[in-house]
Amino acid sequence: MIKNILAATVVLGGTAVVSAGPAPLGVDESATVNPETGIRLPEGFKATVFADEVGFVRHIVKADNGWLYGALMRPKNRMGLVAMRDTDGDGDADETLYFGNKLRGTGIGIYDGYLYFGTDVSIMRWKLPEEGGIPTEKPELIAHGFIEKRQHAAKSFALDGKGNLFVNVGAPSNACMEKARTKGSPGMNPCPILEDFGGIWRFSATEQNQHQKDAEKYATGVRNAVALDWNPHADGLYLAQHGRDQLAEFFPEHFTVEESAELPAEEFHRVDRGSDIGWPYSYYDHLQGKRMKMPEYGGDGTTESDIGQMPLAGFPGHWAPNDLLFMTSSKAPEPYKHGAFIAFHGSWNRAPMPQQGYRVAFVPMDVAGKVTGKWVTFADGFAGTQEIRSPRDAKHRPMGLAEDQDGSLYISSLMSGGRVWKVSYEAN
Amino acid sequence: MKQISILSALIILVGAFSMAAAQEADVKVTGKSLYEANCGTCHQIDGSGVMFLQPELIGSERANGPKGGVIDMILLGSAAVEPGTSDYGNEMPGFDFLTDEEIALIASYVRTNFENDGGSVSSTDVQSRRKQR
Repeated sequence: MIKNILAATVVLGGTAVVSAGPAPLGVDESATVNPETGIRLPEGFKATVFADEVGFVRHIVKADNGWLYGALMRPKNRMGLVAMRDTDGDGDADETLYFGNKLRGTGIGIYDGYLYFGTDVSIMRWKLPEEGGIPTEKPELIAHGFIEKRQHAAKSFALDGKGNLFVNVGAPSNACMEKARTKGSPGMNPCPILEDFGGIWRFSATEQNQHQKDAEKYATGVRNAVALDWNPHADGLYLAQHGRDQLAEFFPEHFTVEESAELPAEEFHRVDRGSDIGWPYSYYDHLQGKRMKMPEYGGDGTTESDIGQMPLAGFPGHWAPNDLLFMTSSKAPEPYKHGAFIAFHGSWNRAPMPQQGYRVAFVPMDVAGKVTGKWVTFADGFAGTQEIRSPRDAKHRPMGLAEDQDGSLYISSLMSGGRVWKVSYEAN
Repeated sequence: MKQISILSALIILVGAFSMAAAQEADVKVTGKSLYEANCGTCHQIDGSGVMFLQPELIGSERANGPKGGVIDMILLGSAAVEPGTSDYGNEMPGFDFLTDEEIALIASYVRTNFENDGGSVSSTDVQSRRKQR
């Protein structure tokens, strides 16, 4: 009996020591999803549904004037942008306004008192009213000349706060095959698509009417990076790429359906001027930790490639990283201050395996921009179900991320009418 | 004589039923497996598609419309859609390398499943559509 009591004391004592230490990064896999918000967060965080039924909201940004702005992929009330404000501070927006007649887009950002917006073929900006609400002046065209395509057309972008605008120009292709998504069609070599697409173009953030042809191709070999952000701590551009689709469908002799669901990795990179991350000639295999030759270019799942830089991290295939965010506020909780939040929209092409990815992940990093540990899940539960056979089964899919001046994080989803959550650190 | 006629009619009738049943079984088994191998990744195994990327086939207007619309979509892919009218981002390749019989089975599977009742398609339908192209 005494022995038993002693044993129990040791166990309890152990528990006490663990709970007194810093909370582990990421969600506790044994915790349950909050029934009110529908999402699960790490210990010490809480969420509110900030806005519901806002429309097909993609990227979001919080302005100093107290309003949260969102880009809409399809117009709502014939407008392509939404502005939201929580006047009483209860975590629930009580004012919602729409503007941007007949526009539609994905990218949104703020620099020098202007709100930037990316359609599929242009970047424009409005002077932000200091008192908040919707812009009152006409927009200015900053960048144009992007060739209109259907696939990977969204012009997401990053602003470095120093006058530069970095625009993602996605490749309208899966793997630069001669015939689009056709089994047996070889990759074009060299890939002509890389001339005008498949990279990051650098523009001035302030000059009007810049054509893509006059801008600098800052980085290449990027299939599509809807997720990109300037890391102010490490002073560099970071992005997460959507990897190619359908390995087993086109190359069943080299890839099983299980391998094709897992590969290639969704790649997380720092890209500096002149960087090449490898598409379409190579892909990253996170299971082997190697960069491999693309099968359209002679690869077979085992042959390595020397084209393209190695990523900082590789995530499971087809998770679809759709936004990336580095916190800048001094109020951001310590372990999350310098790392990368990545919103994964969730897969559609892991079938016949279940779909995956519907979460916000966090990559721990130091102030110099180096990865310091394995990525963790920061928020999940969005889909509302454990087993997702098709994306339509998902109630919500994370899309955009924004930081509040108070250190909170906003997360958007364009599903089920469109929703935005506000995630706060309880200690703040 | 009359009895023989009735008997022949019955045999023909039963034969026609069993042919139809065999065809239906072919659509349910081979059509399904061809759909899953060629179309399932993008349009999803359950036909639910992917918002803004690939159209949903459940209750789809095209799947329930004239046969030619579905046959052309399979033969030509995105080229069958008038430029600038699609609300979906991904490009669909043509599947003209499949045989008339295979295309007929896929088209029939799509038109008689996923809550659709567009009716079945024959390989002759596909052949004549292919000739028009």
